[in-house]
Amino acid sequence: MDELLTQFLIESRELVDKAVDDLLGLEKAPHDRDRFEDVFRAFHTLKGGAGIVEFAAMQEALHCAEDALAAARAESRQVSAIDIGNCLACLDRVVEWLSTIEQSGAIPPYADARDIVALFARGAESAQVRSAPSDPDDSWIHKLLDAHAAAAPAAKTALRYTPDADSFFRHEDPLERIAALPGLLAVDIGPRTPWPKLDELDPFSCNLTITALVASSSLEVAAALGDESRRAEIEAVSGRAPPPDAESVGRMAAEILEAQVRLLEAAEASPQPGRVASVGLVAANVLRHLGRSLESDNVAAAAALSIAEGRVAPLLHAIAAAMAAPSPSPVPAPEAGDRQKGAQTIRVSAERIDALVRLTGELIVAKNSLSHSVTLAEQQGSDLAVALKNQHAALERLVTELQRAVVGIRILPLRVAFQRFPRLIREMSAELDKPATLVISGEDTEADKAIVESIVEPLVHLLRNSLDHGIEASATRAAAGKPSVATIRLSAFREGEHVVIEVTDDGAGIDVSRVRQVATERKLERPEVIAAMSDEKALDLIFLPGFSTAKTVTHLSGRGVGMDAVRTAVSRLGGEVDIRTVTGQGTTARVTLPFSVLVTKVMTVEAGGQLFGIPLDVVVETLRIERDRIFAVGAAHAIVLRERTIPLVRLADVLATRTSRADDSGPIVIAQLDGQLGAVQVDKIGERMDIILKPLDGLLSGMPGLAGSALLGDGGVLLILDLAEVIQ
Amino acid sequence: MSVKVSAAGVIELSGRCGVEDAEALQRHLLAAPGATVEWTGCEFLHASVVQVLLVGGPRVRGEPSAEFLRTYIAPIVGRTTK
Repeated sequence: MDELLTQFLIESRELVDKAVDDLLGLEKAPHDRDRFEDVFRAFHTLKGGAGIVEFAAMQEALHCAEDALAAARAESRQVSAIDIGNCLACLDRVVEWLSTIEQSGAIPPYADARDIVALFARGAESAQVRSAPSDPDDSWIHKLLDAHAAAAPAAKTALRYTPDADSFFRHEDPLERIAALPGLLAVDIGPRTPWPKLDELDPFSCNLTITALVASSSLEVAAALGDESRRAEIEAVSGRAPPPDAESVGRMAAEILEAQVRLLEAAEASPQPGRVASVGLVAANVLRHLGRSLESDNVAAAAALSIAEGRVAPLLHAIAAAMAAPSPSPVPAPEAGDRQKGAQTIRVSAERIDALVRLTGELIVAKNSLSHSVTLAEQQGSDLAVALKNQHAALERLVTELQRAVVGIRILPLRVAFQRFPRLIREMSAELDKPATLVISGEDTEADKAIVESIVEPLVHLLRNSLDHGIEASATRAAAGKPSVATIRLSAFREGEHVVIEVTDDGAGIDVSRVRQVATERKLERPEVIAAMSDEKALDLIFLPGFSTAKTVTHLSGRGVGMDAVRTAVSRLGGEVDIRTVTGQGTTARVTLPFSVLVTKVMTVEAGGQLFGIPLDVVVETLRIERDRIFAVGAAHAIVLRERTIPLVRLADVLATRTSRADDSGPIVIAQLDGQLGAVQVDKIGERMDIILKPLDGLLSGMPGLAGSALLGDGGVLLILDLAEVIQ
Repeated sequence: MSVKVSAAGVIELSGRCGVEDAEALQRHLLAAPGATVEWTGCEFLHASVVQVLLVGGPRVRGEPSAEFLRTYIAPIVGRTTK
């Protein structure tokens, strides 16, 4: 890729990140003019960059966003939620384009910004329909009520749901969501962008806007839609009052906060956790509503502290501090000090750092083989042995330091991954109507960049599970004498060479007998095996593929993705995840990750008399099955595991080793390859080891099925398989 | 397969029509513009299949067995008939 494009990618990525942050900030504090100008600048600079590299589609898309923002500025109105949504959609598209450029090294020639343009055009139209500048566009509600006059009187909630274009790919069925709404009265379906002709329709791309009238409350509708409620506008149909102006909001907020302080002071002698929690939640919500998220977070943290310590002082002080602060408090602009700090860092491409990491890896291997030579020299009684040994020790120390320094370059604090979770919990807790606070600790713990970036997804799953399955409904909690506001703790700490992240909830705990029952029903193991398992072992069943299905979980957690996905993702990073639970008290999921990803974990297998390594990150499980459960499919073979047919290859056959024999009784390795399962039969399964993967060069480089090689301590070479190629 | 073309040239949707049936339905509708779609006995239509019906606008006849389809989707599909 040429230098200009490389620079464009780096800068655009930074600008997109910044713009997303600023847009979200603006959503919380719509009056913040500085934020607004930041957003505007970011879009403008991005567009400029696109112009320099002559990327017309990106220029066009950003131009629309800029227009929408400029219109808001010209009319000196707030940027609407619709505009913010559109701007975010525009940035999403830009990110897609940037990834394409990164992969292909060129501007995508067929990039198309038409749908983004259409998105903004629609936003502009609806802006014109609006009667008052900051009113939400609700003409669709009137249309819907008029079209379904018979259903209108019973309607409590109107819904406009615009699923993502790729929702079909995500195994989402928007209509099934609608069909599942409690108290559904009327449905309408229209195109999101004008319908194409039938022959131009992409049947796998969702272009629907679904509107519906429902007899249940907006909260129930949001809960039923689960995750998808982000893509929906949910409006109460009756009793819609105009939004109060800023001044009266401020006055009301101050009154509410004062009332909370009085409540706390009254309870000072014997504070009840439930009361403290609810005061904390109310105060935090009020502050958040005012766009003062920093103070809101402070209050939430202080509430947790007050509950833990059984005294009201921390919360009282936090609320008092928030009341004393001038309102609204805009987010402080970056200070000169920050800029200075920026000047002290240099930007290095990730590729160069990876090259450094690779070279360090090779140096470690070279050093290890030197230790072999030292041993040999000692055995031969050579005079050089002592000198060699000393130098080896010195080299060892330096290489270890170098390794640490190199690994340090790729280190990020986990805060980068954690920062989006408070928002996630807030949204989910509202959707599920389960009040909960997230208490984060150890966010300064550091880990390799690859780990920090990849751990978000599994943690989202764990947090969802905690809130959805772990935390009980408010009434159940009250009956059990627990505080009505649940606490989910996300903590991280370093443990030797590992980074540990724990997600702990104070919910009901996991019912192990229920786990056994479900596992038996789903035939994950033979019933007598499940019955004989220790509780600890039985609890581990929830990590098996097939334990969780869409049928048993709610919309929020239930995309058919369960704890097996978490375990797969974590083990891909070379880590482990396990669960501890105490009935009635809560559950802790513990994720243990390596600090760095410099080494690869492999499992050795033997086939046709040769030793190979299989990267552990792709291995789902190993098992033995009876011969007659392997059946032929044409010229190939397959096995059926938990009602899934999995293609099977015999490693010895594929690699055509000398002593290839038709042994079909060997153990089978089940591997996950690009979302598909594949099975490989080997003669023997060996040990696990840490290796430094070296890419193949020379004669071997063209060999299909091999991912690389690794030097063993005795100087031997272990060939590492690329199972995706082997199975093809 | 839940999308079939009968001897009389009628496109039949039956049982559960998943996302994989959308493309098949689109193909049939393109191959025989003006064909009638029969959905008696249809228990479930994925949104992608409904989308093809809305874009293609074929004449749809019969009564699906799922209440959601009968009550909510049939009027919408009927409206778009070209």
